[in-house]
Amino acid sequence: MRNLIRGLVLFTAAGIAAIPAISIAADDPVAARKAVMQSVGAAAGLGGGMMKGEIGYTPAAGKAAIATLNAAAHTYGDLFPEGSDLAADTTAAPAIWDNRAGFNDELAKFASAAAAAMTAAGKEGPADLDAFKAAIGPVFASCKSCHEGFRVKN
Amino acid sequence: MKKTLSVALGIVALAAAAGWLLSAPGTVAGDRLAGLTPGNAEKGARLFWAGGCASCHAAKGAKGDDKLRLVGGVRLESPFGTFVAPNISMSTTDGIGTWSLADFTNAMVRGTSPAGANYFPAFPYTSYVRMPLQDVADLFAFMKTLPAVDGVAPGHEVGFPFNIRRAVGLWKWLYLDPAPVIAAPVASAGEVDAGLWDRGRYLVEGPGHCGECHTPRNAIGGPDLTLWLAGAPAPTGDGKVPDITPSSSGLGSWSEADIAYYLESGFTPEFDSVGGDMVAVQENMARLPPEDRAAIAAYLKAIPSD
Repeated sequence: MRNLIRGLVLFTAAGIAAIPAISIAADDPVAARKAVMQSVGAAAGLGGGMMKGEIGYTPAAGKAAIATLNAAAHTYGDLFPEGSDLAADTTAAPAIWDNRAGFNDELAKFASAAAAAMTAAGKEGPADLDAFKAAIGPVFASCKSCHEGFRVKN
Repeated sequence: MKKTLSVALGIVALAAAAGWLLSAPGTVAGDRLAGLTPGNAEKGARLFWAGGCASCHAAKGAKGDDKLRLVGGVRLESPFGTFVAPNISMSTTDGIGTWSLADFTNAMVRGTSPAGANYFPAFPYTSYVRMPLQDVADLFAFMKTLPAVDGVAPGHEVGFPFNIRRAVGLWKWLYLDPAPVIAAPVASAGEVDAGLWDRGRYLVEGPGHCGECHTPRNAIGGPDLTLWLAGAPAPTGDGKVPDITPSSSGLGSWSEADIAYYLESGFTPEFDSVGGDMVAVQENMARLPPEDRAAIAAYLKAIPSD
């Protein structure tokens, strides 16, 4: 019984915590997906800067980049509801709505690469730059793979 | 009155005759072809990737070794209609397996088919015309090593009057020119390695055919060379092809190393990724030796911009 109550409390708390996020995303999915993609860009900038040697590598920074990408991969696909293709300032390609299955395949590549990187990162983050490159490489490849067909540059 | 009419008719007849002569599909003189040595396939591979042949002639979305299966079928939308890239694999029935080096050279640098018809300039011979014939021979030698794949791509969907192949001859007379677009590095670029810049100019203006998308076109599809590489509307309607001159709206803030890194990795200096049709181009450029990417970067940083 006590476990049931505890479960209900947790369930309700989780639901309440989720409400604001859901409503912001529902009110303005274009703003939400842009913010998420900006966080992805910032994480890629951090990771790429370390890969190019412009920023010194630390496992904590490596993990921060990977965790940001992984979090984005969990939510990104929900931010493209029907009708949000009509926004004047979106660079989302019409193909997202015309070929949803293809878009979902690309999202799945992003999510599985990010999840694998998260596992590889472990608790402390990838130990050195080579380990970081090996973990984040497939995630970076999924950027290009999705942007090839599902983004329009203006 | 009668005299005026006959003069007018005479002018029309002369114009028609001149038009007919000017629209004749051209070929490369036989003695120029005779001087070529057999092509070097290894050198040709480098030109194959620089030229991006696979981006249009392999199946849409082909990755890895599938890029070497040149079966055709990619659709190129344009204001003049939709062009469909043909099979240029070594298939003797559906591809170019029976072609001679002369056939291949006339296609590449004159836009003329073995049967003597004009190709539509969706096939970028206006850029390939800047390739030395020995490079064309090397490319052909490499393409002969690629698999024969049977299958005929669907026909072009181009309406009147743009579907008149003979008229393409007049277009070629206007725009098929082997001269370099940019004569020399701009003075504002400062010290430039002349050899590197020349190599970059060759790759960009010739086999790389960058100007075919990055330079705007006029009403009849001719490139506006005064706006060379300054960006253009995307031919498919959505979005635009970016300005890659050293202007503030182009690559002004990019270093040469940034450009070379982008072509190798697909990431901009801000770590945005390459997208759209440029993905296939970037993947081809990534197969070139580093000095070729450096050469392209050196050229792009020293061309005119607004």
